[in-house]
Amino acid sequence: MAEIMTAREAVERYIHTGTQVCWGGFSYTRRPFTIAREVIRQRDRIKHHFCTMNGGASVEEALAANDLISRMETTYIGLEGIQPVANSIRRRIQDGSIPLFEDYSNYGYATRTIAGRFGWPFAPLMAELGSDVPEYDVFGKAGLRGKNADGSWIDPRIPPKKFAVIDDPFDGWGLRPHAFEDGDTTANKTNALDRVRESDKYTGSKGVKVMLVPPIMPEVTVIRAQRVATDGTVRMEGINGPDAEQAMCARVLIVECEQIVPSDELRAAPELNHLPSHITTAIVEQPFGGYPSAVPNYYDYDWDWFVSYGRLNRKSKEEVKDYWTQHVYETKDDWDYLQRVVGMNRLFELRATPAYGYRADLKRPM
Amino acid sequence: MQQVSDDAYDAYLKERGLTRTQYTSMELLAVAAAREVPDGAFVFAGTGLPLLASMLAQFTVAPNMTLIMEAGIVGPRVEHLPISVSDPRGCLHSSMVSNMADTFGTTALRGYCTVGMLGGAECDMYGNLNSTIIGGYWPAGVSESGKGPQVRFAGSGGANNIASFADKVLVTMVQEARRFPERIEYLTSVAGARGPREKHESRWDYGLVRGGELVMISDLCIMRSNPETGLLELDAVFPGVSVEDVVNNTGWKLDTSRAKEFKPPTEEELKAVRMLVDPSRIYLGRKSKREAAAQQK
Repeated sequence: MAEIMTAREAVERYIHTGTQVCWGGFSYTRRPFTIAREVIRQRDRIKHHFCTMNGGASVEEALAANDLISRMETTYIGLEGIQPVANSIRRRIQDGSIPLFEDYSNYGYATRTIAGRFGWPFAPLMAELGSDVPEYDVFGKAGLRGKNADGSWIDPRIPPKKFAVIDDPFDGWGLRPHAFEDGDTTANKTNALDRVRESDKYTGSKGVKVMLVPPIMPEVTVIRAQRVATDGTVRMEGINGPDAEQAMCARVLIVECEQIVPSDELRAAPELNHLPSHITTAIVEQPFGGYPSAVPNYYDYDWDWFVSYGRLNRKSKEEVKDYWTQHVYETKDDWDYLQRVVGMNRLFELRATPAYGYRADLKRPM
Repeated sequence: MQQVSDDAYDAYLKERGLTRTQYTSMELLAVAAAREVPDGAFVFAGTGLPLLASMLAQFTVAPNMTLIMEAGIVGPRVEHLPISVSDPRGCLHSSMVSNMADTFGTTALRGYCTVGMLGGAECDMYGNLNSTIIGGYWPAGVSESGKGPQVRFAGSGGANNIASFADKVLVTMVQEARRFPERIEYLTSVAGARGPREKHESRWDYGLVRGGELVMISDLCIMRSNPETGLLELDAVFPGVSVEDVVNNTGWKLDTSRAKEFKPPTEEELKAVRMLVDPSRIYLGRKSKREAAAQQK
């Protein structure tokens, strides 16, 4: 049964030192900043966590700047248009204060969430073949994969292998473009199956190679939605990114939202919903809580904040952490942060233009 | 092409200190990359210059292309340049927005990923891209030095996947010899042939079913992969650049025998990229290292 609670309560209950948390949203869109900021407020208790996500990296930049990340399993740590690599994460990987970092590609990670979502033991991935992404196995090298002498998992959150490769038992029959007699209707035209069938890499035998990846089953997934019903039914608007999948994979799902609504409101058109009520564990309402990221149809990202923060986070680690201490750690809760630190004027300036879903006239000077 | 009045364009040029015929490195790269997009293509574009170039292609040479952004966007008609592949600006008037598993599965792997546009930190002679690290891979917890890599980059994101599934990959990069080594340190994305076929090191030997055609668009030149050998060869040099400049900034023995001169950006192309794609000059305003250095002198 989903339970409505405050951000403080949700974090106190579900996020502790070392907890594996999968952060939802993508880059600047629908990021769960309310819970992230509450983790920063509780950083003396939480100390650090196992951070995982598909697509970077604004929430993770904030958590890294507060020295809250000890382990990462992810795909991308850039801030895209504003900073090519999130500097607080980058410098901590380089100097060793984030000691473990496991790389995947976006589709590799998404495929792991497909397996997790469907309850499959693994799922096929036709990418990453031939690259170094699967080859460097950090968790394996750190001795975190596999079983102890007593048969228990060394770390139950980490699969015994990063990947496996098999020869396709169906000989590439299902791959597109398919060799139909009069060709396939797909747009792609290249198909080197005849060459690939001769390959004996990975498996030692000839055949069409298929990579298999294990599911990901995060201890906690946190996402942000526009509306959540009192019963836990979730509807997201705009682009979904990795969220529906990784929410379905989780053991505990925290959904923060713009608005909690009566369940009838979302059950009137259930085909538009993304998550059924039984998946949600905790519901946290915080209007504007996705700030400074964009929440489609509600408000835009705060371009000016990101640009100025992208300069600030190049200063010393101490100065950057001081910024977070003064602006977030010392606030009482997210209303205090949003009203006092950001200000209602700024939040109102970011409200979405209805026909666009974002602020159509947002000024974006570099 | 959408109409932009001459008065509005003149005012823009004056305000920004630009002319109708001169162009910056970023503008040149965008135009050169856009010209490589066949009309009707399904284009997977990463953030930055790739997105800029694909939008320009849509306004010029490829009005019937479908733009795809990996966070879940299929076929938008963009009005405001997105700064992320999940930017709500990218979703405008899309045919569908869904999720990441869908864009790579339902769209790319299913057979709708004909052109991929990527960037990278390093590119080698076979078109392999590194966007992960330089100076050691292992993070401190498992490295011998107790430190992490010298330089950590953003990582694959969707680049590996786009490189795996596209028929043709376009890469834009700033060209320096150290960024164009014979062998890259970490292979993030198999964007070209991968390695020599006779040594069983090609992309097909490793099981990738599609692709192999690579076009590298640097700030000096255009290189193309030779369909037989898989090696990147010089195809065209940009105006004001000599073949020698290119050779000096390439870490392998570059075949220059088929080099042509590049047809400079037209006034129409420049107008489109400035007025329709990036009027705030979010990306166009950036200077390449080479430009910045030239300005210092």
